[in-house]
Amino acid sequence: MKYVIIGNGVAGINSANEIRRRDTSAEITIISKESDHFFSRTALMYIFCGQMSQQDIEPFERDHYQRMNYKRVRDEVLRIDTNNKTIYLAKQNTIQYDRLLIASGSVGRLPGFLGEELDEVGNFVTWQNLEWLQEKAKTAKHACIIGGGLIGIETAEILLLAGINVSFIIREDWFWPIALNKNEGDLITEQMKHHSCDVYLKTDLQEIVERDGHVAGIKTKQGDEIDCDLIVFAIGVRPQTDWLKESGIVLDSSGGIVVNEFLQTNVDDVYAAGDCTSVVWFNNVRRPEQLWYTSRDQGKIAGGNITGDKQIYKRGMFYNSAKFFDLEYTTAGYVNFKLDNEADWYQHEQGTNYTQRITYLPDNTVIGFNFIGRRWDHRPLMKWINEKRTLDWVISHLHEANYDEECMPKFTPLTIAKEVQS
Amino acid sequence: MQSGLLSTYNSSARSRGAIGWIISALLFAFYLIIYFTGIFDPIAKSLGLGGKWDMYGVLYTIAIVGGGSYFLKIHGNSRYQRIRTLSLMFVQVIFAFSIPLVMQMFESKGFIFSLFWPLKLDYLSPAYILDYPILIIVYAFIGSLILVPIMTFLFGKRWYCSWVCGCGGLAETAGDPFRHLSNKRSKAWRFEQFSINFILLLAIATTALIIINWGLHHESSQGEWVTDHATFDLIASKIQGVYQFFVVALLSGVLGVGLYPLMGSRVWCRFFCPLAGLMGLIQKFGRFRITVKDDMCISCGNCSTYCEMGIDVRMYAQNNQSFKRASCVGCGMCAHICPRGVLRLENKWDFAPIQNDSNVDILDL
Repeated sequence: MKYVIIGNGVAGINSANEIRRRDTSAEITIISKESDHFFSRTALMYIFCGQMSQQDIEPFERDHYQRMNYKRVRDEVLRIDTNNKTIYLAKQNTIQYDRLLIASGSVGRLPGFLGEELDEVGNFVTWQNLEWLQEKAKTAKHACIIGGGLIGIETAEILLLAGINVSFIIREDWFWPIALNKNEGDLITEQMKHHSCDVYLKTDLQEIVERDGHVAGIKTKQGDEIDCDLIVFAIGVRPQTDWLKESGIVLDSSGGIVVNEFLQTNVDDVYAAGDCTSVVWFNNVRRPEQLWYTSRDQGKIAGGNITGDKQIYKRGMFYNSAKFFDLEYTTAGYVNFKLDNEADWYQHEQGTNYTQRITYLPDNTVIGFNFIGRRWDHRPLMKWINEKRTLDWVISHLHEANYDEECMPKFTPLTIAKEVQS
Repeated sequence: MQSGLLSTYNSSARSRGAIGWIISALLFAFYLIIYFTGIFDPIAKSLGLGGKWDMYGVLYTIAIVGGGSYFLKIHGNSRYQRIRTLSLMFVQVIFAFSIPLVMQMFESKGFIFSLFWPLKLDYLSPAYILDYPILIIVYAFIGSLILVPIMTFLFGKRWYCSWVCGCGGLAETAGDPFRHLSNKRSKAWRFEQFSINFILLLAIATTALIIINWGLHHESSQGEWVTDHATFDLIASKIQGVYQFFVVALLSGVLGVGLYPLMGSRVWCRFFCPLAGLMGLIQKFGRFRITVKDDMCISCGNCSTYCEMGIDVRMYAQNNQSFKRASCVGCGMCAHICPRGVLRLENKWDFAPIQNDSNVDILDL
């Protein structure tokens, strides 16, 4: 049996491992245009700032491909013919497959402004983006980052560390409103300002200013004119599936590959996993997930299913974590999903940047948690949501979910006055 | 909760660049000179110190206090790191340096209370230890044979290796800038499992020889310390000399510190230290473990990179496996540096089997 996996990211390599686990004699080929070795995309920022080397961010030892007997092809896939089970490559000719797994991931979005094609404009998502940013950072004096999300704030952090001034242009009223409320967003904005990041809230990009074929600055709809020599768009990612348009594989409106609960596409013997895949969320909305751990889980399940397993991929309760400069963030459950009549219990520990927000319904059932500063274990939090615990019960048990480093001052929720917001 | 990002690899000294090799060469030269020549003796005397080893003690203490202060500047925002580092600095200044010095003023011999057998074979060597007052003899025996195993069972070997020990103290302070240079490959792990247990066996065998040989001596009618087993005596003292030369001088001194800028700061502790080997065996059955939060790891690799013992922490984290590893000294850097708060050092009365050295999925290596 000849398996071909398009993509050498977390979904691709995990699916390869699951195929190998089940079939020691299968011929497994991994095609990647990005890199020879699987690396952790989330760690690109650490290479930029010198915290880690290229090999440090590779989760498997380099002989993994050889030991697992994976054939690697470094090339770009131009298109596939699913009738003849043929993959057309840019440099080489073609590759045949018996079963195909698409894990082509996503790329940074560009909004479509005039001037985007300039060399000083880019994203920070792929290995090639990293090489580009490293090159630009050598000469850049002032960077504008457009878009108020996680990639944006991480890019701001490493550019500041490289001695580059940063203007962070955020369209929304506060930082990352999809995950944070105003208090939390303001806390993060303060943190950014503390690290000398120039934050522009409620600001829209209007124009990229060009001089002699180079970026000279930006203009905003609000009338700001900012001189800069580097622009990073951090306005999200989109599935890298342009090459699938003529393939007969169904894509959703965002370009995500539509799959069933077994991560199987509409075409026989073709599966998909990871960022490029559009799955049904807990609230019955279909869209790509684009998280590290969901890509990994999808890769594992698709890899098993392509060999004949029948595992169902079911997206459970939402949870995630992040880090904004020095501040850690943990979320679990349904925060900011705008369910009916939800209310928030919120506290800000005095003299710290630590906040806790608990979202609950009118019958006092807790449905979500949003925490900044301290570390939390999402497992008990999710258990409590499943058990439909009440707000009072959760508050009195909250310390059990605390996951701070040893020796940290103990979290004692009941000593702090209750503060309720709606 | 590390504050600010580290720019480790931007420095030639810290990424095996030319400066790193030069520092390594200088350290090698220094250790070879101090162990095998008397060149430093006149220098030490001109500084008012007793000899080269007193000078070494001063330099060692300065390195730990200076390096520790630098470490606190970078990682002191974590209370665990702060307390641990202050403990190392305190033990070095008081127990390893000042108390022996003061003892030397009043008695003829100093005693280091922060050392234990088998790191210091002398402490179970009758000829050496019986010279001391009875309280110190009792302390050396009970400390080495009862206190160390119990503390290790309760808290993991970290109570010693990254809170008390002098070798660990240097590694965690002046050696901290090099911690990421430890070898993370599974080959290094396999070598470590062999070498550390081999040296432990060697240490136990040498101690046994020393004790047996002492037992075979007796006081002659002229009041001399003699033996009727001259061949055994010769072999025993030869083996003791070989141990002293290869393990104590070469491995713990010359290689252990000389390789800091090339192979990280824990080469001695990880591959050779017999006390670390002994405590590692206990640690696998003890309370201490690193707990992994399920499905939160992003495989970034900060934990593995900054593990001075070369443990591939990420492998466990991305597989949702809490784990016990014999070599872990519990410095806590993996937990501290993790950007997603996945890892947590814990002591727990819970002995359900978890991932340890011997049950790793081959696919994951």
